Order: sequence, then structure tokens, then C-alpha cells
Amino acid sequence: MKQILPLLALGLLAGCTSILETGDSIERGLNPPSAFNYATTKPEGGFSTQLNDNRIGNKVELLAARKSKTDGGYTRVQFDLRNGSSLRQAINVSFEWLAADGTVTESQPNLIATPLEPGALTTVTATALKVQSAECRLRLISR
Amino acid sequence: MHKLSLLACAVFIVGCGTPATYKDPTGRELVVSLDKVNIQDFATAGSQMLESMISSPSFSKGAPVLQLGAITNDTADNFDTALLLSKLTVPLVNAGRVTLLDNDATANAARAESGSKANVPRAEYVLKGKILEDRSNAGSTRQGSFIFQLTLVEVKRGVAVWTDEKIVTKQGTKNAVGF
Repeated sequence: MKQILPLLALGLLAGCTSILETGDSIERGLNPPSAFNYATTKPEGGFSTQLNDNRIGNKVELLAARKSKTDGGYTRVQFDLRNGSSLRQAINVSFEWLAADGTVTESQPNLIATPLEPGALTTVTATALKVQSAECRLRLISR
Repeated sequence: MHKLSLLACAVFIVGCGTPATYKDPTGRELVVSLDKVNIQDFATAGSQMLESMISSPSFSKGAPVLQLGAITNDTADNFDTALLLSKLTVPLVNAGRVTLLDNDATANAARAESGSKANVPRAEYVLKGKILEDRSNAGSTRQGSFIFQLTLVEVKRGVAVWTDEKIVTKQGTKNAVGF
């Protein structure tokens, strides 16, 4: 019986998520969870960025933001992203649309996984559904 | 000692497992299953197809009248295909980009009853599609791909004016949490 109890205790330690959560907390303390980074198009052209997570900000470069109108008069934007690191990056993107007065008119309800190989360049595109949507905010978070 | 070992077993059984918590359905911490289509897979495929569809010339102006056709689920997983269609129709209808015809038997009968001269909307386009799957494995690593195919047919001419395919592929040895 003395042999069984340590075995049970070992099983308890190995099988319980509470132990994993403790480890996760320690890990998160050293390596904080990912945060969203934003890039928003500007009426005068170009874009502004809000960097909340420097770890991804130093790896994935936002090269350009292009804004145009569709035949129906809806705004379309394209963001060029490049993985400037030597490791594969897994990022998630989504879009929010803003009216000229800054109010949010549309928001994409999900993140789209966008894997990027080292050095790879990708273009993410979004088209507004509403005419009043004038500017686009790209939300970007690492895996 | 026998009681003690029973108690230890009970602690082992009760103490394990993760308590259920609410998660953001649009977030990154959702269960990823290898053998079924997850809720985020519908969202991903749906939003990408929506972006593609609204870029087609058929949606450049006005609010075309759209009717939903059949979406065939050709996978081993049993789910309602409305999970995919709603990702397209909800944003389109709420933004006023389409006039969506109600598709139930009563609505169809009402339209038939009203006759051709009545001022009721007629379907200009029908959206139809198929969801397929492909599975493969190498050793203990399993891979599941779900293929979402949609086609927009112009009723007047009976031709496809837009079609797209999105593939969601997942790989691993077991189901997991997170993207």
C-alpha cells in the first residue's frame, strides 16, 4: 500500500490542470500574453499604428496601406505585411471600419489566421459593406 | 489503509479537469478539432468568401435580390449549413447590400400566389454550395481539410457569376485549444 499512495499522488500531479495553470502563470509572468496591434488608415493617406505588443511588432512589418473605392463607391483597403524575422510567424488579423467622424460602422467578428514564412510578403484585403465606412483599422495579434 | 487509498482515488477523480468557462467566440482560445468543422472555421471561411463575393461586379451597385439555394454537407460531420450562410447573409442584409428572399414554403407559396404581375421581389441570384472534407495522416499526425465551395448563379441567364473555394486545414495529433 505504501507503494500505491506515491503512485496515486504522482497520477494526481500529472493529471490535474491546476498544476498546468500554475506553470502557465509562471510562464505568463515571464512572457506576458500577446496584445493587439493596430494600424489605421488616415483620410489624408498613409496609416498610423498603435503598437501594444513589441514582440510581434519587431517581427512582422507593415509595409504599406492602400485605400481605394470600388465601382459601387465602397472603400477597399489593402495592407502589405512582411515577416522580417527568420522564423515562421503565425498572426491573426481582423478589420474594423470607421466613418469619417470616427464612429465604428462595421467590425469583422472573427480573426483570420495568416501564417507567414520567413521573409514572406502577404497582402490582406478588406472591402467595406457600408458607404459611410471611410477608414479601416487593422487588428493584428500573434498566435 | 484501504479507506485511505479510496480517499486518494476520490481526490484524484474530483480534482482533475478544467472547469467550464465562457470564451469569446471570436477569440483565439477556442477548441480546435481535427475531425469536425469548428465554429471558427465557419467564421473564417464565411468572412473570406464574403470579401470575395462583394468584390464581384454583381454586388457593385444596388441591393440585388438573393435567394439561398442548397448547401450540401458532404462531410462525415453533422452540422447545419446555416452556420456558414449566416456569416455571409447577416452582414449583407444588415448593411442593405442584398434583399434576401425568405426561403420557407409559406414564402414561396405566397410569391406564387401573388402572380407574375404583383410587385413582389423575384430572385435575381441564387447562392448555392457544397462543403467537402479530406483526411490524411502520417504516423500519429492527423490532418483534416474542410473545403467550402460557394457559387452565385444569376437566375435570368442561368450562369454562375461568382464562385469561390476556401480550404481550412488543421493538423495535429489531438484536438487542442487555440489557433
